[in-house]
Amino acid sequence: MILETHQLTYQYPSGKTLYFPDVQLRAGEKILIIGPSGSGKSTFLNLLSGVLPNQDGSIRLNGHNYEAQTRQQLDQLRADHVGIIFQSFNLIPYLSGFENAKLSLRFSEERRTNVSDIRASITRLAEGLGLTSEILAKKPEAMSIGQQQRIAVIRALLGKPALILADEPTSALDPVATEQFMTELARSIDPSEQAVIVVSHNPILTPLFDRVVQIGEAA
Amino acid sequence: MISLALASIRARLFPILLVILALTSSMALLLAVDRIKVATQNGFNQSLSGVDLVLGPRGSGIELMLYTVFHLGKPTNNITAETFKDIAQDPKIEWAVPIALGDSHRGYRVISTTNEYFERIKFAGDQTLQFSEGVAFKELNEVVIGSAVADALGYTVGTSMFVTHGSGALGELHDDFAFQVTGVLAPTGTPTDQAVFVSLEGYELIHLGWTNGSQAISLKSLDILKIPKERLYPQTITAAYLGLSSRLGLFQVARSINEYSEEAVSAIIPGVALTELWSIVGSVDSAFKLLNWLIIGIGIIAMVTMTMTALESRTREMTILRALGATPLHLSSIILAEITLISGVSVVLAVGLVRLLTWVSIDLMSEWAGIRIELIWITMNELLVLGLIVLAGLIASLIPAGMVYQRSLHQGFSS
Repeated sequence: MILETHQLTYQYPSGKTLYFPDVQLRAGEKILIIGPSGSGKSTFLNLLSGVLPNQDGSIRLNGHNYEAQTRQQLDQLRADHVGIIFQSFNLIPYLSGFENAKLSLRFSEERRTNVSDIRASITRLAEGLGLTSEILAKKPEAMSIGQQQRIAVIRALLGKPALILADEPTSALDPVATEQFMTELARSIDPSEQAVIVVSHNPILTPLFDRVVQIGEAA
Repeated sequence: MISLALASIRARLFPILLVILALTSSMALLLAVDRIKVATQNGFNQSLSGVDLVLGPRGSGIELMLYTVFHLGKPTNNITAETFKDIAQDPKIEWAVPIALGDSHRGYRVISTTNEYFERIKFAGDQTLQFSEGVAFKELNEVVIGSAVADALGYTVGTSMFVTHGSGALGELHDDFAFQVTGVLAPTGTPTDQAVFVSLEGYELIHLGWTNGSQAISLKSLDILKIPKERLYPQTITAAYLGLSSRLGLFQVARSINEYSEEAVSAIIPGVALTELWSIVGSVDSAFKLLNWLIIGIGIIAMVTMTMTALESRTREMTILRALGATPLHLSSIILAEITLISGVSVVLAVGLVRLLTWVSIDLMSEWAGIRIELIWITMNELLVLGLIVLAGLIASLIPAGMVYQRSLHQGFSS
């Protein structure tokens, strides 16, 4: 089991409390977290990535219980086991595509050891996603949104983290590009060691996933 | 962290270059002012050695030092030769060298004195005056010039010259009596380099026939050889340098001169007067230093402000790094590394700039102001000061670094 959550709740400073459904994710699985705006999708993602402290309930990632970790250990856990893709502005503007992709290894020794040849690994992932070495050499400002999202995917996948979290990764793409992007993402992961969670408000993505988890019941 | 900080700096090069420029110039200014001060202080301290007391008219000791040793300002009064001779007879006084001031040559001060001047007056500790060319004056019409005078005017042994009455450029020329250069002094780095030396008798001679500052009778109408020698010994002198047979009697001799009843004279101890002088200059120096530190402070504030202003536009960058596992401490370290790099580069540039400026202006400063600045990279003291500036920058940068830390600690990801 890659990820297991149990009775997760989160209370905002305003007092509003969110109750999240339990999630079990096995290697090779792709699940879609769906819900309307303000339903707590991003909060759920922040809890899973260990950026927000777990207030109540439990999260277990690759055998590590979040409740037993310090904040620093949670940051390390994220560096080692989680690859994150945002909706947009995924890249650091002053670094090239290649340098942006390589960034994921900077904070994780474990992911570094999984990559014997950084350049070859990035190039292989890039080719799988239809990116040339010329695009990798470009700064984000010279890339299309789709190319930037693909670089973000390379960064998330490099070093083979167990969990790929993507927050509305296709919201800036048209339906054809969306389907192509999701297909390429699914093809790029190692089904024996990795799993994917995509958060979206768009139900059109549903057929592309193994399961759908609905979020949106606020108390 | 350093490579990320470097990449971030490259991306914001123009504003960062402006901050580096501000910091570099303010630090260079601080270093340059301090070096000029040290060089001036050394120059002043080394200008006169081997002299135990300076005898002059009663008044300000600092003023007496300024116009006798440093050729600054004009003598306000004279003392009579009779008084000088009387005081010089004191057995505790081993030697006495009188000087008379007032005239100039093309802006350089003329010092009339005796031959003994070149043997007794020392500089930079215990160094005696040396002639790079020729010898000391012997005759009435002979003159010795300092190295800077020789260089600037292109004079050499044998050159003829006239002396101007008074120290201003508009003074009347003593063109009825020409002097001839017999010696050029080797450079000393002191005001001596900028002086013209004539004998007391020669000086008295060119003033014969002068009343109330203007010439009544030309020397051309007189037979100089027939003028009795004792008539050429001046009635008054400006001051005298005194050397004692034993420094133990320094205060006793000074007191007895200050209490001299026949004429209002005083004796000053050069070291004491210099200390007084530096205490006055010191307050100006402190004010200037304060101003300098304020400029540096403004530079540091500009650097921190720029970093803080950029934080808003860098929120996304910080979020991405957090997503990749960077801890809040990592992110603060990037900010600290950036500021350290900016400060470090500014320090290196400031040191280089000051060295370059010193190299370019070393001769100019020596000729124009008589200040000898050493061509060095950096002293331990300067390194300490620059280290303090970098430290101050780092302490100030804890504000934006702390902001980044706090923000990243409490902020989640949101697209």
